[in-house]
Amino acid sequence: MKFGNLLIAGITTGSIYAMFAVCVSVWYRVANILNLAVGDFAMVGALGVDNLYRVKGLPLPVAVITTLVVVAVFAYLYDQVVLRIAQDGRRPIEGIVVTFFFTFALSFFIDGVAKVLFGTDVHAAPTLWGGRALTLGSLNFARAGLLVLACAVIIGGAFWLYIRYTLGGKALEASGENSVGARIVGIDTRQYRRLIFVGTAVIAAVFGIVESPITGFTYLSGATISLTGFLAAAYGGFRKPGRALVAGLFIGVLEAMLGGYVSSEYGDTVLYAILAAAILAWPRALGFESAVSG
Amino acid sequence: MSAAGGDGAAGGTAARAALSVTGLSVAYGNVVAVHDATFAVAEGDACAITGPNGNGKSSILMGVTGMVRRRGEVAIFGTPARNGDVKWAARHGLTLVPERRQLYPELSTADNIVLGCYTWTRSIGKARRSDAYGRAVDLFPELRPHLKQLAGTLSGGQQQMVAIARGLAADPKILAVDEPCLGLAESVAKRVYDVLAQIHAAGTTLIVVEEAPRRALTLCNRRVEVRNGMAGAA
Repeated sequence: MKFGNLLIAGITTGSIYAMFAVCVSVWYRVANILNLAVGDFAMVGALGVDNLYRVKGLPLPVAVITTLVVVAVFAYLYDQVVLRIAQDGRRPIEGIVVTFFFTFALSFFIDGVAKVLFGTDVHAAPTLWGGRALTLGSLNFARAGLLVLACAVIIGGAFWLYIRYTLGGKALEASGENSVGARIVGIDTRQYRRLIFVGTAVIAAVFGIVESPITGFTYLSGATISLTGFLAAAYGGFRKPGRALVAGLFIGVLEAMLGGYVSSEYGDTVLYAILAAAILAWPRALGFESAVSG
Repeated sequence: MSAAGGDGAAGGTAARAALSVTGLSVAYGNVVAVHDATFAVAEGDACAITGPNGNGKSSILMGVTGMVRRRGEVAIFGTPARNGDVKWAARHGLTLVPERRQLYPELSTADNIVLGCYTWTRSIGKARRSDAYGRAVDLFPELRPHLKQLAGTLSGGQQQMVAIARGLAADPKILAVDEPCLGLAESVAKRVYDVLAQIHAAGTTLIVVEEAPRRALTLCNRRVEVRNGMAGAA
């Protein structure tokens, strides 16, 4: 049952891509900034827990909670200090510099600090749900993979419910749609920028923790994760979390299928060729038009 | 200069000032849009702010509602208003229906209207059950079939009605409407003014910014004329 197992593997990695893509696009929708550091928060989550648990000898729950708190506080301070100066001053910086520069710089900064703190070796957070893979007929379900899927469904679902069914969620959408219109009804757009930035940083860290037993992380792993999330988000024009989610899942499954049926060595190359060809063929339908024109 | 006074005020009783503005100035960088404007609007009034384009009419509303920083004193029902605090103004009864409507095009019509309630609640259930939201929706039967449609796909007239409904959902005592008929066909503009008259008749104090005084004066009993950023009673 090669196809079934590849599909399971594909959906697992796809759900990771999808979550990062959703994180990128939701924040872009609110703040008009692309979060290129989202993968670095995942890396800090994984390596932070590993460091506190394995090296410092803290109990696992304490290590996990400490790491998540540190990520949240750091993200909050970054918004308060850097983004506040960049966007909320008398002369806010606008345009492409803000869209890319600040989070790109943040990504390098986090990588540098992580290199000093965690070293350059491959590490992973300990498996939270250990044991042999579960089998159903000839299908294998790795426990770590199931945990990733469960996190994706729970966090993604909670996010969706928040946006769809609360006034706060609608206010969040409104602040991305029209910041003047949002201020008229008393929405503090900066508050939502901060909330989503801190929230997605913590979500990314959680995914780093549950994913790292599968892939292993180094201090440089963040960039690759951000890139894939960024790519999947681009398929939704950076503004449509639902589309970004589907694109993330699709890329994951396609990657697994290409690796299994075409070539394990050239799978990624073929994958990116297909993705690029799709963009060239249907730029408008895939949302690239709106990504460029805003 | 003051535009407060008794002639033709609705109800006929000596009404208290809903809004009083003293020495209001608004500047964008080095450009002064409003200079030292002083006027008052009594409770129950319908006040037109008129004058040529580019003379600072909209900036008066922006400054008064707190959308931009201002200098000078603004009091809403006698309480001095906080500078640059839209929410404070809304909670004390003053809500803006802005020029060019400023809707959220990719949210539904119903969501656009219900967000008006954000000024006083965080609960979507409370918002949807509230009298203010119910009244706002009921006032526009023509929007009923479009409540689930994205606001960006509505016609200009419908969008203006959504903007007014959103303003009403904030449950205002004073509704400030900026150029409600900009770019609308005459028949639609008439419908907008009919609705504004209904809102006024229900007891809401109205402030309407209009380039064309003729249309505004079919509704308004008071007029503030703005020329070169200076406001005065006309």
